[in-house]
Amino acid sequence: MVLKLLGNENLPEGGRFPSEGIENFFESSESMKRWELFRKSEIKVGLFFEKAKKATGSIVSFLEGLGKAVKMTMEMTVYIFKGGISLKDTALQMVEVGWKSFPIIMVTSFFVGMVLALQMGTATISFFNEPVYLGMIISFCLIKELGPVLTAMVVSGSIGAAITAELGTMKINDQLDALYTLGTNPIRYLVVSRFLACFFMLPLLTVIANIVGIFGGMFIANYLWDVPSNIYFSEVLDFISLLTFLHGFIKSFFFAMVIAIVACHKGFNAKNGAGGVGIATTSSVIYSMVFILISDYFLTMLLTTLNVK
Amino acid sequence: MIKVENIHKSFGFKRVLCGVNLEVYDSETLVIVGSSGMGKSVLLKTIVGLVKPDTGSVLIEDINITKCSSSDLHLARKRVGYVFQEAALFDSLSIFENVAFGLRTLTSLKEDEIKQRVRRCLEMVCLNNVESLRPSELSGGMKKRVGIARAIAYKPRYILYDEPTAGLDPVMSDIINELIMYLKKHLKVTSIIVTHDMKSAYKIADRIMMLHEGKMIFDGRPEETRQTKNEYVRQFVEGSTRGPIVADKNF
Repeated sequence: MVLKLLGNENLPEGGRFPSEGIENFFESSESMKRWELFRKSEIKVGLFFEKAKKATGSIVSFLEGLGKAVKMTMEMTVYIFKGGISLKDTALQMVEVGWKSFPIIMVTSFFVGMVLALQMGTATISFFNEPVYLGMIISFCLIKELGPVLTAMVVSGSIGAAITAELGTMKINDQLDALYTLGTNPIRYLVVSRFLACFFMLPLLTVIANIVGIFGGMFIANYLWDVPSNIYFSEVLDFISLLTFLHGFIKSFFFAMVIAIVACHKGFNAKNGAGGVGIATTSSVIYSMVFILISDYFLTMLLTTLNVK
Repeated sequence: MIKVENIHKSFGFKRVLCGVNLEVYDSETLVIVGSSGMGKSVLLKTIVGLVKPDTGSVLIEDINITKCSSSDLHLARKRVGYVFQEAALFDSLSIFENVAFGLRTLTSLKEDEIKQRVRRCLEMVCLNNVESLRPSELSGGMKKRVGIARAIAYKPRYILYDEPTAGLDPVMSDIINELIMYLKKHLKVTSIIVTHDMKSAYKIADRIMMLHEGKMIFDGRPEETRQTKNEYVRQFVEGSTRGPIVADKNF
């Protein structure tokens, strides 16, 4: 009320009033203190509403994005089941996903296997005075968790980011609109092939990552801890059952869906020029990684309940 | 005939189109002029169904594209070609594949016929031996001409051009103008052209409309445009800073 009476524009920086013309109001120090209190409380309320508005806006835009992603997924599913998938485009995308990710998957999973062997060897030596169960522990960690999750992380950072950047650039340059005008639905033309490529290639890459990781572990177990290769592999094979293999394998299909859907959705909704494509790409990788880790927990819970362990 | 009835479109709090009405008759060339940011491109995109209006309807012959089935929308798209302001060529495809794209999705032509049609369309926009190149290997003007070739390749009845001569040299601009007139004369193509280029507008237009602040404020033949007393149109046509269209000068 006081602000209305006096007008905001008369307030100098720091919120202090000029003394001219308002002597009656500020004649006592008590009034001044009350005014200061009122002003501070009003600033706090204003900031609270500002923050609340921002938070509400973020929630609304997140839900809006989620709705769009679900709509896109449904539309894509309809196209997949209706047929008419371009096998040529899907094969090209599969080569793209597999070939681009293969070297980096080989290197990372080999080193993950080596690190596991190093850590487990050190740990088992401190407990049992010798490196034992290395094959079992390494294959357990790799096949059930590290193989699927790390492969998904690498694919999300390389292929997911590339998909978002490509589709985002197409969106910015009106190429998606051009597809519409030429009688082609961009979801059918661009999303279906990328989704199928991720869906079939990620589990394959996961299997390769598991095998390479186990060999990485064997390398360190053999050369550093003097565990014979046949002992190491017999431990690995004793532990691996079909259900153990399926535990990680099934997860990788879900991770592939997360990567493809998030990457395509973020690319399709890129805006504000080159900077916007950069933002979309970053957020695609972050969202994929977060969703992979969250879904990993729930999938593990579900698969364990279903005795796939 | 294309008929736009009472189109309103807002983006957030910004009202871009406020009750736009227009009719384009068969074989007519309509030029829409107006200052930048007045909603001309949004209007074109609304007509082709790329932007959904808040209210109003767009009729392409008998199809109301604001509320039609996907098969009707596909049929409407077969009838309409769209030339984008920045060409919007597909980066991952060659020039041949770009021009052939619509022929493959919207027609049932055989590969030989597609090859012939693509070559002919590229010749019409004065481009030879570029079929195997990628869009990134072409200049801005060449990309624009490929965009026009792609839009006319499947012989649509209606072609919407978003600034077709922007970025082209004067000679090439005139070639594009003559191409638009040729399409009208020989193929009876109906065109809607958004442009700032008044020289082109006078040459090719049967009718000129002016869009200002989301509303159509003028509709007349080229000679009527030259003689109009509408202050907005006169200022725009003369390219003057003096008049009701406010242009901030910061120097």
